[in-house]
Amino acid sequence: MTNTQNAKLKLPRLGKASLAERKARKGWLFVLPFVIGFLLIYLPIIIDSISFSFMSIDIKTNSEGESYTVVVQHGLEYYKKLFDDDDFLKKLLDGVLQLLWEVPAVVIFSLFVAVILNQKMLGRAVFRAIFFVPVILSTGLLETLTASKLSGEDIDDGSGESAADEFISVMDVQTLFSTMAVGRELVVFIVKLVNNVYSIINYSGVQMLIFLAGLQSISPAIYEAARIDGASAWETFWKITFPMISPMILVNGIYTIIDSFTRQNNVVMQYIADDVYPTQKSLATAEYWVYFLIVFAIVAAFAGIVSAYVFYQRRD
Amino acid sequence: MDNQNINQNPAPTAVITKRGVKMNFEGKIPFRQRLVMRLTSSSFWIDRVWYLFRFILMVGISFVILYPFLNKMLTSIWPLSDFSNTQVNMIPTRVSFNIYVKLAQHWHYLRILRNTLILSVLTAGLQTFVTCMIGYGLAKFRFKGNKLILILVIVTMAIPHRTLSLSLFQHFLEFDLFSIKATNLPGLFELISGHTIRMSNTFWPFAILSATGLAFKNGLYIFMMRQFFHGVPDELEESAYVDGSGTFRTFFQIILPLSIPMMITIFLFAFSWQWTDSFYTNLFFSSSSGGVGLMPDLLKSAPPTLEVTSQAIKGPYLEAIKNAGGLMVIFPLVIVFLFCQRYLVQGIERSGIVG
Repeated sequence: MTNTQNAKLKLPRLGKASLAERKARKGWLFVLPFVIGFLLIYLPIIIDSISFSFMSIDIKTNSEGESYTVVVQHGLEYYKKLFDDDDFLKKLLDGVLQLLWEVPAVVIFSLFVAVILNQKMLGRAVFRAIFFVPVILSTGLLETLTASKLSGEDIDDGSGESAADEFISVMDVQTLFSTMAVGRELVVFIVKLVNNVYSIINYSGVQMLIFLAGLQSISPAIYEAARIDGASAWETFWKITFPMISPMILVNGIYTIIDSFTRQNNVVMQYIADDVYPTQKSLATAEYWVYFLIVFAIVAAFAGIVSAYVFYQRRD
Repeated sequence: MDNQNINQNPAPTAVITKRGVKMNFEGKIPFRQRLVMRLTSSSFWIDRVWYLFRFILMVGISFVILYPFLNKMLTSIWPLSDFSNTQVNMIPTRVSFNIYVKLAQHWHYLRILRNTLILSVLTAGLQTFVTCMIGYGLAKFRFKGNKLILILVIVTMAIPHRTLSLSLFQHFLEFDLFSIKATNLPGLFELISGHTIRMSNTFWPFAILSATGLAFKNGLYIFMMRQFFHGVPDELEESAYVDGSGTFRTFFQIILPLSIPMMITIFLFAFSWQWTDSFYTNLFFSSSSGGVGLMPDLLKSAPPTLEVTSQAIKGPYLEAIKNAGGLMVIFPLVIVFLFCQRYLVQGIERSGIVG
């Protein structure tokens, strides 16, 4: 008796909850491929990779000349050893410092180019196609073509950076700014940008296309309304384009951080792959994982700060 | 009364064009007066200067991007005699497509093109659809664990597959679900059927990674789609639900058409990265099988018909062959991009909400 009464009393609330539950269940259906893939395929791969950093595999030969592998458990030994690796820690600091100027530079540049390429212009399709070339090469998968080109620092003659250098020499920029009363940090930042024009352009390809796609999805009706109300192009950019594109700024910021850290020619990645990995594989794996943890921490901090300012066109 | 008005102020004439209705308000103003009005307005000049500025800027940046290719393109059309001629610098004495022709013959370029096209279209299409779906699920449904899955997506985005190559190789050599090699415990397949599935030298690893949103940079695509859908107003779906459309129908008929620019972009990324990929093909195809005939094969080695005996020019000549191969890989991609970029245009009402 009491049971049925309870059921009757709860009925309206139950119905409401089940509607929300049904919707949530459908959400699970949408993300199911990833969840299955992550749990059944990706997670074991990750666990295996991490477990390599706790042990070492030696290939030994027995008295009959047959080789066999010996697995030696080391526990946290490599993680302790890693903090004695001064080169690693120094390179890590370099990588973080590089990030501080690279992320704003790449995000601002790619947004700027995307806005320009979104406007009508003679030969727009050709310019877009040219900006697509760095995207093809950005992964470094086509190594033969990128080997002498995308590595900004150790570039040989006849390659891109010298082209950028021919345009503006660093000294000019410095003298230009020394006459202005701006902070020293700003001068250093601008000089760095000019020095790295070539690599910034080449690292911005992916972000540029993402911004371009984001700009396409802003409703033209909003621009029309703003134009009728008499907004200038400048106001339209800051009051409409910028807030509407801000979700993609978060994507591109995070992507730029990750890309900068995990790129083949990143100082730390290069150091681990070239100097540590060939001789001490387990130590290299341990260093990779510590490094990725640091990357996650930086990404989380960035996402935490930026997502507070991101505008979404929805009710919450 | 009405007639008089019309005679004094001619009503604006409307012309229906492709892009909409164009109103002509200036019917009776003489051309000269209109021209002067136009030339003296500041906005006219600001527009022109801005146009010129951005055009020059784009030309300059394009030059910086293309400059390294200029040299590579030019040396690849050098005839053999130019390599031993010290007088030749960049501009060849005559144009020779010998290297291109020999490369295309040796590697059966059309076959390679077809193989790569099939693989790239299938994986890119699958990845685009799957990541779109996952992104939608993460953006629009508030279920428990939503945030956690988003974090996991970003984790997969942050760990480059290159550092996992050893485990990746092991796991797909003897594929099994939830098998941890380090513990030697059997996976789900081995428990059920007693053996694992050998997946080397097949396309299954590509299909599995694509279908689960774990392939190259798929984390980025999922995150992109999630951010995009998060910005789409909820009213749109609610009105579809009210009209009796189910979740999946709403997704396919209302949401997917909205996200065409996003999907085109993701497709382009996935397509071009699969096209140029040599890492995964090297990982999942053993070298003894002779490869499957994909684009990066063009760069593997010089065809025997192009061998030269002279040691002096061997280095630069091999370099030129590689450059030619690289350009042959990139060129079809640029064509595909030029085709796809037509869909990256603003002007279609996408939000569906007015006011």
